[in-house]
Amino acid sequence: MTKEDDGLVTKTISGGSVGEANLPSTVDVVVGARAKGSVSPFVEGVRRLRRSTTALIGAVIVGILLVVAIFADVLAPQSPIASDQKHMFERPSWDYPLGTDQLGRDMLSRVIHGTRISLLVGVSSVLLALFVGVPFGMIAGFYGGRVDTSIMRVMDLILAFPIYLLAIILMVIFTPTAGLIGTMKVTGAIAIVRIPIYARLVRGSVLSIKEKEYIEASRALGVRDPWILVRHVLPNCLAPIIVTTTLGIATSIIVEATLSFLGLGTQPPTPSWGWDLKANVSFIQANAWLALFPGLAIFVTVLGFNLFGDGLRDALDPRLK
Amino acid sequence: MRTYILRRLLGIIPTVLMITFVVFVMMRSVPGDPVVSLLGDAYTEEDAVRAREEYGLNKPIIVQYFIWLGKLVRGDWGASILTGRPVLQDVLIRLPVTLELIVLSMGVALLIAVPAAIIGALRQNTWADYTATSVAMIGVSIPEFFIGVLLLLLFSIGLGGLLPSSGWIYLPGTCPTVICGASLWGNAQHVLMPAIALGVGRAAILTRLLRASMLEVIRTEYVTTARAKGLAERPVIFKHALKNALIPTVTVMGLQIGFLIGGAIVVETLFAMPGLGTFGIDAIIARDYQQVQGFALLTALAFVVMNLLVDLTYTFLDPRIRYA
Repeated sequence: MTKEDDGLVTKTISGGSVGEANLPSTVDVVVGARAKGSVSPFVEGVRRLRRSTTALIGAVIVGILLVVAIFADVLAPQSPIASDQKHMFERPSWDYPLGTDQLGRDMLSRVIHGTRISLLVGVSSVLLALFVGVPFGMIAGFYGGRVDTSIMRVMDLILAFPIYLLAIILMVIFTPTAGLIGTMKVTGAIAIVRIPIYARLVRGSVLSIKEKEYIEASRALGVRDPWILVRHVLPNCLAPIIVTTTLGIATSIIVEATLSFLGLGTQPPTPSWGWDLKANVSFIQANAWLALFPGLAIFVTVLGFNLFGDGLRDALDPRLK
Repeated sequence: MRTYILRRLLGIIPTVLMITFVVFVMMRSVPGDPVVSLLGDAYTEEDAVRAREEYGLNKPIIVQYFIWLGKLVRGDWGASILTGRPVLQDVLIRLPVTLELIVLSMGVALLIAVPAAIIGALRQNTWADYTATSVAMIGVSIPEFFIGVLLLLLFSIGLGGLLPSSGWIYLPGTCPTVICGASLWGNAQHVLMPAIALGVGRAAILTRLLRASMLEVIRTEYVTTARAKGLAERPVIFKHALKNALIPTVTVMGLQIGFLIGGAIVVETLFAMPGLGTFGIDAIIARDYQQVQGFALLTALAFVVMNLLVDLTYTFLDPRIRYA
C-alpha cells in the first residue's frame, strides 16, 4: 500500500488528445485520491459513474450493440450476403423490415451483421494501439534520455501525418480484402495511426509519477524496474488511458466507416456500414431509406461510446462535479 | 517575433521533407505500379520494362526521391504517369475548390459554435444549455458523410431538387480554364451542402470545447473585476471571457486539421466535387506516384502551416504569450 498519497494530487496531461474528436486539450485526473478511512478511488469512480445519466444511456446502447454483434447470426432474419433477384429494392415491409438493396439482400440483416465489423474494428484497433503504445510510453517516460528520444521521434513521425492520409495509404498498401483478414487489415491500419496517442499520453503521466516518493520508496526497497512499472506506475496512469480508450473507440468506428465509405475498408460481400452507405447513395433518388439505415447505425454506435466515455471522464474527474 | 516566425518557417522544411519521403517510400511499397494500369490490356513484359525505364521507376527509391526533390526545387512538380498532365497545373485547378470548402465549413462551424457555447456557458444547467450540449453530442457522433446524405435527402430529393446533389460551378475569378462555368449563385448552390456537412462536425467539437473553457473563464477573478468596475455584459463576455476561452479551443482546432483533410476527401467524394480531396484519393488508388507526391506535399504544407498559424494566434488572443 505504498501508492496512496494523503490528499488529492491533480495533474494535467496535455498533448495526448491529438486524434481525439472529443477530448479537451487537457485531461485532468486525480491520482491516489484516498484519504484515511474513505473508499478507494476506483469504488468512488464507479459510484459516480452509476449516478451519471449520460454514462448510463451510453452503457445501455453499447450493451445492446454488443448483444446484437454476438448474436447476429440468431437475430438476423436472413443471410446478409445472399442475394435474391426477385426481391430487389423492396420497400420496408413485414418480410423485409428495412427493405432490400440492389442485389435483393435484406437490409436489416446487413445492418445487424455490420455491427460485428464496426465493433470488432473499433474495439480491437484501440486495444492494439493501447498494447503497443502504453509500454512504449511507459519506457520512454520512465527511462528518459536516449530511449525516450528515439521512441518519441518515431511517434512524432506518425503524429506529423494528417491521420486520414496515413490510414488511406496504409490501406492501399495492405490491399483491402473481404472477411476476417480484411477486417484485420483495417484494424491494423487504424491501430498504427493511434499508437502515438497512447505513447504520448502515458509518457506524460509517467514523467510526473516517477518523481513521486512511493516510486523512490520502492526503489530503495530494491524492487526491480519492470515490477515498479507494472505495479506502481501503470495503475496510477490508468484513468486517462481508460477515458481515451472509450472515446477512442468512437473515433475508430468513424475512421473505419470513413475508410469503408471510400472503398478502402473491409470489402464486400462482408457487410460493412460505411460501404453499404456508399453503395446505396447511388440509388438515393429512388430508395432514400437504404442509405439511411447504415448511417443511423454508425451514428447510434458512435453516440453510445461517446456518451459512455463522457460520463466516464466526468466520473474520473471529480473537479467537474 | 520576426525571428520566431522565420525559425518556425525553416522548421517546416524538415517536416515536409519527412512526410513526402515517407509517402514516397510507402507508395512504392504498394503492390503493383502505375505502369500496369498505363499499359492496360496491351501489357507486355518488354513494354513494362521500357516504360519503367522511361519514368525512372527502375532506379533505387532513394535516387528517385532525390530526382523528384531536385525537380521540385526548380518548380517542376512532375507529370502524371497516367494522364501526362503536369501535376502542379492539376493541383492549382483543384485547390480553390477545396479551399472554398474548408474556409466556408470553418465559417459554418464558428457561426454555430460561438453563440451556442456562449449561451451554454452563461446559462449553465438550463434548458438552453442542455439543448446546446445535447445537439453538440449528437453532432460529434455523426460522420460527415452521413450528414451529407441527410442533407441530400432533404434538399436534393425531399424539397424537389432545391440544391444540386453533385458537381461544381466555380466561384467567379477562381475558374482556372476558359471553358468551365462560373457564377456566384451557381457556386453558392453547389457549395452550401458540402460546407454544412463538413462544418457541423467541427461546430459540435468547437461548441463542447468552447463551452467548457468559457465556464472556467467566467469564474476567474478578472471577469469578476471587469463586472465589478461596471463594464457592460457584452464587452465582458466578448473582450474578456471569449478571447481567453478561445486559447485552448484554438489548440484543439489546430489538431483537428488532420481530420478536416479526411473530411474534405469524404465530402468531396460524396458530392462529386473536383477538389483536392477527390484528386488525392483517386491518385492514391490509381498509384499515380507523381500525383500522390503532389497531393502529399500540399497536404503536408497545409498541415504544418496551419499549425504555425495556430501558434501565432495565441499572441493575438493572449498578449502575455510572446515568442522571442
